[in-house]
Amino acid sequence: MTERHRLRSVLTLAYLNGIVPMRTQPLFLVSVLASPLSFLFFVTIASHGLYLKYAVTGGMLFTMLSIGTSLQTDLTHYRTDLKLQDMVVASPVEGPVYVTGLALSELLYSLPGLAVFAALWATGGPALGATGTYAWPVNLPNALTIGFTLVIVWGFASALGFTLATYFEDVREIFLFSSLISLGLTVFPPVYYPLSALPAWAQTIAYFSPTTYAAQLLHATTSAAATPVGSLAADWGVLIAFTVGLLFLAAAKARWREP
Amino acid sequence: MTEGVTKQYPKNVGRPPALDGVSLSIRPGGIYGLIGPNGAGKTTIIRICSTQLLPTAGTVTILGHDAIADPRSVRTRIAVIPQESRPLYFLNVDELVYLYLKMRGMDRAESRRRTNAVLEELGLVEERKRLVSRLSGGMRRRAMVAMVLASDAEVLFLDEPTTGLDPLARREVWGAIRRTIRDHRTVILTTHYLDEAEQLASRIALLDRGKVLLEGTADDLRARVRRPYRVTVDSRVPRTELERYGDVTDVDGGHLVFTRESDARELALKALGAGARVSMGPVSLEDVFLQVVGRPIDDGTTGEEAA
Repeated sequence: MTERHRLRSVLTLAYLNGIVPMRTQPLFLVSVLASPLSFLFFVTIASHGLYLKYAVTGGMLFTMLSIGTSLQTDLTHYRTDLKLQDMVVASPVEGPVYVTGLALSELLYSLPGLAVFAALWATGGPALGATGTYAWPVNLPNALTIGFTLVIVWGFASALGFTLATYFEDVREIFLFSSLISLGLTVFPPVYYPLSALPAWAQTIAYFSPTTYAAQLLHATTSAAATPVGSLAADWGVLIAFTVGLLFLAAAKARWREP
Repeated sequence: MTEGVTKQYPKNVGRPPALDGVSLSIRPGGIYGLIGPNGAGKTTIIRICSTQLLPTAGTVTILGHDAIADPRSVRTRIAVIPQESRPLYFLNVDELVYLYLKMRGMDRAESRRRTNAVLEELGLVEERKRLVSRLSGGMRRRAMVAMVLASDAEVLFLDEPTTGLDPLARREVWGAIRRTIRDHRTVILTTHYLDEAEQLASRIALLDRGKVLLEGTADDLRARVRRPYRVTVDSRVPRTELERYGDVTDVDGGHLVFTRESDARELALKALGAGARVSMGPVSLEDVFLQVVGRPIDDGTTGEEAA
């Protein structure tokens, strides 16, 4: 396969698993948004609007992390139920091309949800500023920080989804497991609220979750106080290290041909 | 093509291997049938040949390429429909074929041309915009055959493509499979429907418990059994009188006798003389299987269980 063929395969997989289902069943898009918007709603109400600035970027992070569960579900479903992976193995398509194509499809599928949160971020800051309450700065550096962070989170979530998919033989097991993953990655870590809202002992535990570092980076863009550069660099470093580590684990666990 | 292929699944250590020294030589072009009961090793050999599974021992060569050491060279020239596979339900028939071709790396114009041609050829034009989830079982299978048929693969592996389909749907799929060999491609087909193998395959290998028991054309297989004729006689002729002609099995309302050609004639004449209803002819592949393996192919036990 030449690079052009690989790119064509990746884009085709992304289209067939990302765009076509959106067109066939648009209601799925609403369901994708349901959980992150619900969290945003409750956190904002419970904090009397204080945590809205965290919850907006938290919703973006939640949406990106959901890609991991979706990829895990699709990979397992296509391998064990539809046998699509067997068809792909016995074809010119290589393993990394298949996984990249499906990971990209999950990203495409999440874009409408991300767009909703991006619109909230872009309009919410100025709107709150007009009412005299704290408004977060909407500018290019912050937009780039959010964009880069979400790209790294996409890589992390995809690697996690791929790694976990190698352990499961039945989609039903994933449904049981995904709520635990969600608890460990999006509910307990400070995604929708600041780290300082947790008691000291819980903050220590939260640092074991890579999403804490991603959330710190995103929260810095809506925070009133300037975050120290060293702290941001450490967050980037840990998040990237988690992602690279998971990618290595995924590559080591991957078995394109069964032994 | 395969030489001494053995497969012992790691989780089944201590039990008989799934494949035990299977050697097959398949000439390019035509349909090659692998028949045998569940657990005979048909799917295992297909998965090894199509580079999905590594054998424990042996060699596999596909179109001159070593499928074990150099799977990439093989994968560009093969396509497979796995056992119990199902198409992506949210695609329509046209997208299913077109996107499969593009996923294999084919360009847009060629994918479109081949998709249109194959849908026309398999009579799927009217269904092209229907969602796969709304098709009947037979149509879904035809759509899957259309995927691999439209590809540029030279060797097609079809693993039990008609299992679970009604007789009409099976015939629809047979028609689609027959069309695959028009352009000198090779089809390797597994089935436990012996009539299917007889209808489609130019050569057949009979597998049981991981071993090839017989190999050749359907006529070769029939000729290689000890009693190549079958005579059915109703119950007006007592079983004891039939036993000297060959192997007797009780069937609904009478007896089935496997015998030699000369004895078949004599037996038929005798039975007709006694006023019995008689039918006579060469053995079917099902009879061959029964004689060689010692049990019917569909008796519900797997090759492994029978061992």
